[in-house]
Amino acid sequence: MKTKVREDKSILEKSFVIGIYVFVGLFALLCIVPFWLVVINSFASESSIKIHGMQLFPKEFSLYSYQYTMAGKQILSSYMVTITVTVVGTCLAVLITSMYAYVLAHPKVKYRNILSFMTYFTMVFGAGLVGFYILIANTLGLKDTLWALILPYMLNPFFAFIMVSFFRTMPYEINEAATIDGANDLTIFFRIILPISKPVIATVSLFYALQYWNDFYLALLFIDNHNLHPLQIMIRQIISNVNISSYVGGSQTSYSQAVPTYGVQLATVCLTIGPIIFLYPFVQKFFVKGITIGALKG
Amino acid sequence: MSFIREVTKNKFLYILALPGLMFLIVFAYVPLNGHLIAFKKYRLADGLWGSKFVGFDNFKFFFMSADWYKVTFNTAFLNGLFLVFGLGIALVLALFLNEIRHALFKRLAQSFIFMPYFISWLVVSMMAFAFLNTTDGVVNRTLEAYGAERINWYLKAEVWPAILTLIYVWKFAGYYSIIFLAAITGISGEFYESARIDGATRFQQIIHITIPLIRSVIIVLGLLGIGRIFYGDFGMIYGIIGDNSALYSTTDVIDTYTYRSLRVLSDFSKSSAVVLYQSVMGLITIVIFNLLAKKIDKDSGLF
Repeated sequence: MKTKVREDKSILEKSFVIGIYVFVGLFALLCIVPFWLVVINSFASESSIKIHGMQLFPKEFSLYSYQYTMAGKQILSSYMVTITVTVVGTCLAVLITSMYAYVLAHPKVKYRNILSFMTYFTMVFGAGLVGFYILIANTLGLKDTLWALILPYMLNPFFAFIMVSFFRTMPYEINEAATIDGANDLTIFFRIILPISKPVIATVSLFYALQYWNDFYLALLFIDNHNLHPLQIMIRQIISNVNISSYVGGSQTSYSQAVPTYGVQLATVCLTIGPIIFLYPFVQKFFVKGITIGALKG
Repeated sequence: MSFIREVTKNKFLYILALPGLMFLIVFAYVPLNGHLIAFKKYRLADGLWGSKFVGFDNFKFFFMSADWYKVTFNTAFLNGLFLVFGLGIALVLALFLNEIRHALFKRLAQSFIFMPYFISWLVVSMMAFAFLNTTDGVVNRTLEAYGAERINWYLKAEVWPAILTLIYVWKFAGYYSIIFLAAITGISGEFYESARIDGATRFQQIIHITIPLIRSVIIVLGLLGIGRIFYGDFGMIYGIIGDNSALYSTTDVIDTYTYRSLRVLSDFSKSSAVVLYQSVMGLITIVIFNLLAKKIDKDSGLF
C-alpha cells in the first residue's frame, strides 16, 4: 500500500514536469513564429505572396524587396536619425538617471524622501498630452528638432527606482573608506560606484535604448520634416501609405512599375528590428541581477 | 537655515541630483499647468494665461457626449484584461521556468519568450497584419484551405479586445516573468529543502512556498497596473489600430481619443479636460487600491 502511494506520486510528479516543459516550449515557440513569418516572407517573391499568401515556408525567394528598399534615400536618413537619437539619448539618460538615483539611495542626503516622493508623484499624476505638447512645441520650441525625440525620455522614474534599489544593496563601508582616503562624493560616484554597478547600468541602458529605438509617439507629435523621420515613422508611412514609391525606392521609380508592397513593408521591418535584438545577448547575463524586486517600490 | 546647511554640507551629492531634478521640474511639473487649459477657451495667440476662462464648459462638452463613457470603459476594460492575463500568464511562466533543470532549454526558452519585448508596436502591427490581413494573411489562408469563409478582422470590432489581449501577453509575458524570476531567485533554498524532506511535491512547493514568498511582488505589480488602469497604451493601440475608425467602438481609449482631438481637431481645451479627468481618476484609483492592499498585507502598499 505504501509503495503504491509513492509510485502514484512519482507518476504525477513526472507528468507535472513534462507538462511544464510542454507549456514553456509551446509558449516559446509561439513567441518566435511571428518573427519567423516576417523574416522569411521578406525574402519571398511578391508573386508568391500574392498567390499563396504569407507562408511559413514560401516557395519562391527573391531579394528584390531589399534591393528596392535600400535603393531609396529614406532608409539611410532614418537610420541616422534613429541611431543618433538612441545613442545620444541612452548615454545622457543613463548618466542623469544613475546620478539622480544614487542621491535618492544615499543615506547622507537628508531630503532624499522628498526627492523620492517628487519622483513618484510624476508616475501617478501625469500632466498628460496637452501640457506636454505645449511645453515641447511652444515653450521650448523643439518642433522638428532631434531634441524633441531625446529630451522627454531622459529620466524615467521607474528606471530610476530600479537603480535606487540596486544602490541600496551596496555596503555603506565603501563610501566611508573612500571618504577617509580623501575622496569627495563626485569621485566616489564616478570612480567607485559606477564601475561596480555594471549589472544595473547594463539593464537600464537596454531599457532606455529600447525606448529610444522603438518610439514613434514623439516623432508622430513633433516631427513633420521627413528628413528627420526615425525608422519607426518610416515603417508607419510604409504601412499606411499607398504610394510607397514616393517614400522609398528612389525617385527614379516610375509609378507604372510594380511596387513590391508586402515585400517592402516586411523588408523595412526586418531592417529595423535587427540591430536592437542583437543587444540582448550582451546584457542577458546582467539581467536578473539588474532587476531586483525592491525596484518596484519607491 | 538648516536647508542651506544641509545643501552646502552635501553639495556634491546635490550637484549629482541637479540634472535629474531639473528634468522633473521642467518635463513633469511645469506641464501640469496644462491642466488649467481645461477651464479655458484656449487660443494659441492668447497663450495659457490670456485665454478666456470658461469654467466647466469643456468638461460638460465631454461628459454630455457618448464618447466619455465609451473611451473610459474601453480603457479600463482593456487594461483589466491585460493586467489579469498578462500578469497571470507571466507568473505561471516564471514558476514553470524556475522548475526547469535543463539549462540549455531554459536559456533558449527564456530568450525566445523575452524577444517580443524588444520590438516596436509598429513592427507588432506588421506581424499582426501578416496573420490577419484579409487577402493574404495566414489566418484567412488557413481558413480558406479548410473551406471556411475569410473573415475581415479589421472590420470586426468585437474580436479586438481578445486580439489585443493576446498580443499584450505575447509581448510582455517575458518581461514580467523576468521580474517574477528575479524575486523567486531571492528565496532561500532552505525552504525547499525542508519541504522536500517533509515529502512535498513540486506542485505543493510552488503553492505553499514560492507563491506566498513572492506575494508582495505580485501585489506591487498588480497595484502599478491598477494605478494605470485609466491610462491606455497609446503606442500599442495607435500602433496596431491606427486611424481605423471601424474599430473605435471597442478599441478607442482615452489616450487615442485625446491624441485625435489634439492633433486632428486641434482642440486643446477639450483634450485638456479629458486629460485632467484621466489624471484625477488615476490618482483616485491608486490611492484606494493602495489602502486596500495595505489592509490585506501591511507591507505591500506602494507608499
